[in-house]
Amino acid sequence: MAKVILENVTKQFGTVQAVKDFNLTVEDKEFAILVGPSGCGKSTALRMIAGLEEPNTGTISIGDRVVNDLPPKDRDIAMVFQEYALYPHMSVYKNMAFGLKLRKFPKNEIDQRVRDAAEILSIQDFLDRKPKQLSGGQRQRVAVGRAIVRKPAVFLFDEPLSNLDAKLRVQMRAELSKLHDRLQTTIIYVTHDQVEAMTMGTKIVVMKDGWIQQVGSPLGVYNYPVNLFVAGFIGSPVMNFIPCRIISKDNRLLMDAESFQLPIPEKKVPYYQSLAGSEVIFGIRPNDIYDRAFAPENIKINTVRSVIDVIEPLGSEIHLNVTAGKHDLIAAVDVQTVYKVHQELELAFDLNRMHLFQKEPPNLRVKTEQ
Amino acid sequence: MKFSRKSRDRLGLHLILGLVSLVTVAPYFWILSTSLKYRTEVFTQIPKWIPWPINIQNYLEVFQMAPFHLYLINTIIVVAGILAIQLVTITLAAYVFGRRNFWGREFFFFLFLIQMMIPIHATFLPNFLTLKRFDLLNTRIAMMLPFFASGYGTFLLRQAFRQIPRALEDAAVIDGCGGLRFLWHVLVPLAKPTLIAFSIISIVSHWNDYLWPLIVTDTPEVRTLTIGLGMFVQQESGADWTLLMAATAFVTAPMLIFFLVFQKKFVESFMLSGMKG
Repeated sequence: MAKVILENVTKQFGTVQAVKDFNLTVEDKEFAILVGPSGCGKSTALRMIAGLEEPNTGTISIGDRVVNDLPPKDRDIAMVFQEYALYPHMSVYKNMAFGLKLRKFPKNEIDQRVRDAAEILSIQDFLDRKPKQLSGGQRQRVAVGRAIVRKPAVFLFDEPLSNLDAKLRVQMRAELSKLHDRLQTTIIYVTHDQVEAMTMGTKIVVMKDGWIQQVGSPLGVYNYPVNLFVAGFIGSPVMNFIPCRIISKDNRLLMDAESFQLPIPEKKVPYYQSLAGSEVIFGIRPNDIYDRAFAPENIKINTVRSVIDVIEPLGSEIHLNVTAGKHDLIAAVDVQTVYKVHQELELAFDLNRMHLFQKEPPNLRVKTEQ
Repeated sequence: MKFSRKSRDRLGLHLILGLVSLVTVAPYFWILSTSLKYRTEVFTQIPKWIPWPINIQNYLEVFQMAPFHLYLINTIIVVAGILAIQLVTITLAAYVFGRRNFWGREFFFFLFLIQMMIPIHATFLPNFLTLKRFDLLNTRIAMMLPFFASGYGTFLLRQAFRQIPRALEDAAVIDGCGGLRFLWHVLVPLAKPTLIAFSIISIVSHWNDYLWPLIVTDTPEVRTLTIGLGMFVQQESGADWTLLMAATAFVTAPMLIFFLVFQKKFVESFMLSGMKG
């Protein structure tokens, strides 16, 4: 079991800097998730921890050892790949036993470890089969099994669920969470899927263009995104962003989005007072926009007129794509009534959950918490 | 009884294929048939396809007149020796060209490809002189040495190695199976169809090699089957067609049996070399 520390790590491929000044500590037994869009450097960071890529600068420590000069086999890590990377010519048993055999483990210990791992993952019946005889989910479990038998200090997962269908992905997410709970081992997991990041991790690391944008707990990153990118990347559906100007009017602070004006809640005024006269970006999550007819009483006063463009019924809720003046918004509303396209709708905003972001890059969120 | 159009088309196709097969197989059948005949039965007004009674004495006489058993052993040694070394050299070369990065890789691979373009006959003289310098003429090694490296085999295997995903190599490296261990434990087993295909092509082409063995060998002790048959035709058999056909049947039999046993692999190997080459 081990802590993983990356200090000032950078990685360059030719003229492209894939990872820039990466500093991260993953505590022992933590389930850390590196999440970000394609090309943000998350897989490169993971491969450097594994030893498959060499950092240009910085140090990587696993446990109490700096591992920069250690080959992957000596770093006490195990990795699960997106494409499973099972040896096609070996049976499931041999796939799982291969690493231990190379390390000259005794035969009976290999057998014990393989069977124990197979039982954890419910693949005991497949031990004699070849990978091509298995489904995608079964192959992924074998890949996880191959990692488990190593009993490593750190598990590394590189988008392991990307090749699975949606239903299987949901199932495997739960299984991996249970596995973490059972094994109590440090896990570093890479994904581009923010739903995976939110549901599985104890720590999320949001990346963009080789930089770490924010590190925090899933709810912490969701509720207090550090900038516009994190706010837009984490959360589904995507947060609504509306450019506006902060104006002072009648001793009140308002957000003027040209098509409509909304008052800033009293408790947030002290934090936004200094922005009066400035242009900012107003952010609000679709789940914090209601159909006024069914909104809680305390937010019914913050209304905006809109027209419905697209209706996306999801069963448990409905996503309404609406136009409010010049602005396109998404509202995630409860299934209370039937909506029609082109219908006029009054929306109510829960402004206690609103965010304001600086208009200029890096588009930092204006903090309203201590 | 009415035949459907499909049945009629199929019948026509089978007739044509049957005729072509007959024309192809007929010479081999005639060789076998003549090898089992008495001398007086060879040229008859009405050709006798099936000899009766059969005369196996021809084969016994052939072995008494020339050491075909020795020629067979020499051929097996030469072909097996070439193949064994080729499999090692092409595997190592294909691994380096297919899976490793190093300065000048593309240039050196280009040189390998160039080797395939040079006609074999253009290399006979320099190879002959080299062997003479090292006093290797009239040895089995002389017949094998120029073929230990194969540009074609390297190319074929390199393509096979490049098909194997990088993630598999990463997984192997993490398992502690990098470099040559990865080559042995993963690449070679996965490239088995290509190796089999290449082996078949190598065996067939070197078994039937005539010109190079003729140039570098002098004595019956190191002769191969093709050379032995050629000498037999010129010197030993005279105009005795039964003996000649017996010798020919003996020389061609191993490859025919090899083909019959591995015919599926033969077809796959030619398809593979055609697709990848």
